[in-house]
Amino acid sequence: MIDQFVVFTLKGQVLYHFNPQGRKLAENHINKVISHLITSPSKKEESGKYLLFKLDNFAAACFIGKQPPLVYLVTYAAQDLELNQEAEQVLDLGFGLWDSLKLNNSVLQNLSGKGVKNRHNYTWILEGCDSNLNKFDEYFRAKFSVIKPGKAKGKPSVEGNASKGSSLTGSKNNKKTVQNAKTRKWGRDGIIEETNVGDSSALDFSELNEEARASSLAEVDKEAFGTFTEKGEFLINEIDELLNKNKAEASKKGQSTGGAFGFLQKHLLGNKKITKEDLSKVLEKFRQKLISKNVAPEAADHLTSRVSQDLVGSTTANWTSVELTARDSLQKSLTEILTPGVSVDLLREIQQKTGKNGKKTPYIFSVVGVNGVGKSTNLSKLAFWLLQNNLRVLVVACDTFRSGAVEQLRVHVENLAQLTDEAHIRGSKNRRGKSGNDHIELFEAGYGGSDLVTKIAKQAIKYASDQNFDVVLMDTAGRRHNDPTLMSPLKPFADQAKPDKIIMVGEALVGTDSVQQAKNFNAAFGKERNLDFFIISKCDTVGEMLGTMVNMVYATGIPILFVGVGQTYTDLRTLSVEWAVDTLMS
Amino acid sequence: MLELSNSVLVALLVALISSAVLLIVQKNSANVIPGYKVSNRDPTFIIAGPTYSGKTGLFNLLTTDGHKPTVMSQEPNVAEDYMLPSTAKSFRFKLMEFPGHFKLRYRLYDTLKDSTSLKGLIFVVDSTVDPQKLTETAEFLYEILGLTERFPDGVDILIACNKSESFSSRPPLKIRDALEKEIGKIIERRVKSLASVKKADTTSGVEDEDGAPPQSVEFQSNHEFRFDALDGNVDAMDGSVLKGQIEKWECWIDERAVN
Repeated sequence: MIDQFVVFTLKGQVLYHFNPQGRKLAENHINKVISHLITSPSKKEESGKYLLFKLDNFAAACFIGKQPPLVYLVTYAAQDLELNQEAEQVLDLGFGLWDSLKLNNSVLQNLSGKGVKNRHNYTWILEGCDSNLNKFDEYFRAKFSVIKPGKAKGKPSVEGNASKGSSLTGSKNNKKTVQNAKTRKWGRDGIIEETNVGDSSALDFSELNEEARASSLAEVDKEAFGTFTEKGEFLINEIDELLNKNKAEASKKGQSTGGAFGFLQKHLLGNKKITKEDLSKVLEKFRQKLISKNVAPEAADHLTSRVSQDLVGSTTANWTSVELTARDSLQKSLTEILTPGVSVDLLREIQQKTGKNGKKTPYIFSVVGVNGVGKSTNLSKLAFWLLQNNLRVLVVACDTFRSGAVEQLRVHVENLAQLTDEAHIRGSKNRRGKSGNDHIELFEAGYGGSDLVTKIAKQAIKYASDQNFDVVLMDTAGRRHNDPTLMSPLKPFADQAKPDKIIMVGEALVGTDSVQQAKNFNAAFGKERNLDFFIISKCDTVGEMLGTMVNMVYATGIPILFVGVGQTYTDLRTLSVEWAVDTLMS
Repeated sequence: MLELSNSVLVALLVALISSAVLLIVQKNSANVIPGYKVSNRDPTFIIAGPTYSGKTGLFNLLTTDGHKPTVMSQEPNVAEDYMLPSTAKSFRFKLMEFPGHFKLRYRLYDTLKDSTSLKGLIFVVDSTVDPQKLTETAEFLYEILGLTERFPDGVDILIACNKSESFSSRPPLKIRDALEKEIGKIIERRVKSLASVKKADTTSGVEDEDGAPPQSVEFQSNHEFRFDALDGNVDAMDGSVLKGQIEKWECWIDERAVN
């Protein structure tokens, strides 16, 4: 059973909503879906013409209409084969009916400002649609009640003999787990399925469940039918006719424009309805350009497909060529991808971090990345900035693997100590017997295996909170992202050290591999923990080829906070999205 | 017959040339790019604010006098030639409402940069939010102020404290004070935080860039930040979109619309 069916505009107006249980509109679910759509456009699953999502505790399927721009959304309890199908049927029905009742036309008319204006000189998007909307509601409800019994008949009869039923559900469960192994709701069924050879009681339980659900469904359906028995059949016939007529009309409308006028419209006059063919050439050009700027083909494909999603079916503005329109849309997509979805104010977070007893505790950063991308360098840059803000910094050498890594950090700490306090003598120990001075200090424990890393991390954090440090910066060993033996220690490390921010350093030079790097590092910390942000280093070495930024954000949806633009401690900058987009588009 | 076709040809030629000229002029005036990029010269009121504060609800209430269900917007709402019934019939303005999601705020910033005749900005705030947790809201307002204060007289801003019907709502003055304080802190932090990348930086290290006129205003941190010190007025008033109690806000718009 679906939870709700909603039609709304991109501008946030809800045009129609339907809830089989008769509850009121659950905005928070819809908002979650929209928020998901905005923040991680690359993560959605596409099945046929509908987008399917799996969110925290519910699933959703949506269809985004173009002309007019409307979103048809169905939310339901969990993603499984049966419910997905039902959701798609409901979407089919909703979208078809909406179009058949000429609601699309009226909405378009109202949007273009040709409709009746009210005393505010404004046309409400559904102006004059009341009767059609009521009809839509009536038809939709009638059809919806038919979708269910149809499904019930299609299902294997549950009341059949037990052995047959059990084998059927068994196979169905199997399918479900394959279909979506991640779905939590089916986790229990998966277990049952595993043990179903001998354990018949477990089977019976699932059977009961199934039966109970089916019978409750049947009741609901009967009720729904009851209200429609007099004119139910008649109504449904009428609706089917409507839907079919519309399909025929749609297929009749083919290519009508073309010739010289079409050419003019495409390149000069504007006001042209954009088709896939118009776009394909332009988009291929953009794609090549993006790839030449070091954007991975995968990300470039995604961007261009977003442009075509955005534009196909819409019309160009007057005096605008298709190419200009596409360029604009691409710029928009790039901006949206690169703009962070959350606000990050590190200084505030550092100031406000307190422990359980309200005492201030150190704020912990840990830096990860592939070998040689500049983890230690960017860590020292970060340390320099923090020192400038009068924060006391503890640098922890968690790279216990590469020879010279600790010594390298010591050099950085000495440098930074000298920069903050000119009286500092290089190589001298501070009053706690460590390298550095009162502002910055190095915590080291030599070299060793991965057990040592977590040990050092825990000791360092304890030390830092005892000595009232404000910030702990942990350097880790560089590791190849596609080697599981190297990546697996990251999870216990993050579990033990509990860093407030995990920063991944990626170099701008890397190119296509950055997609996989970002994905693998993001996945390395387990399901619960993600990377917090990226530092893109070596941006001064690539000129305009900033594609890596797009790749990494595209792959993970995690924002870029800083970019490294040079060799000295001051060469760390925050990302300006405008600058990045301009550079990529130039 | 020959003459006729000649004249037809000439007429065609003239038509072609004139349309070409028109096209070039239009293209060069950079006015042709569709959507939000068109520089906006109409008198404009803008509704902005963080997510879930009730901006689209307010827009609907203002435009249709009715309360309608809304969800998170992904695109701006625009009412061209909007008329408040109470104002003089001759005055019409553009009413724009922008999504509050972080990723979509650039739309608002672009419009603020491109508009020349901003009459006022209604910053909708959920008044049930704890004033201690207004930091992100303050950050948003700070970004907006940076753009509006570049106008010689600034832009008047109304902090519309929505949801006053709720028992946990805070009085508008308290919210205004909290925002003021938070913005002061933000300015302090901004001075301390890292600069953002500029074009010059990528190619040739550090370089001074005082050539271009500033797109936004930087606030000084040497004295305490006060709304009163700004060029534009900042007022805070309570109201409720849900209950339709927005008379105060309408009055505020009225005052600015007439002037």
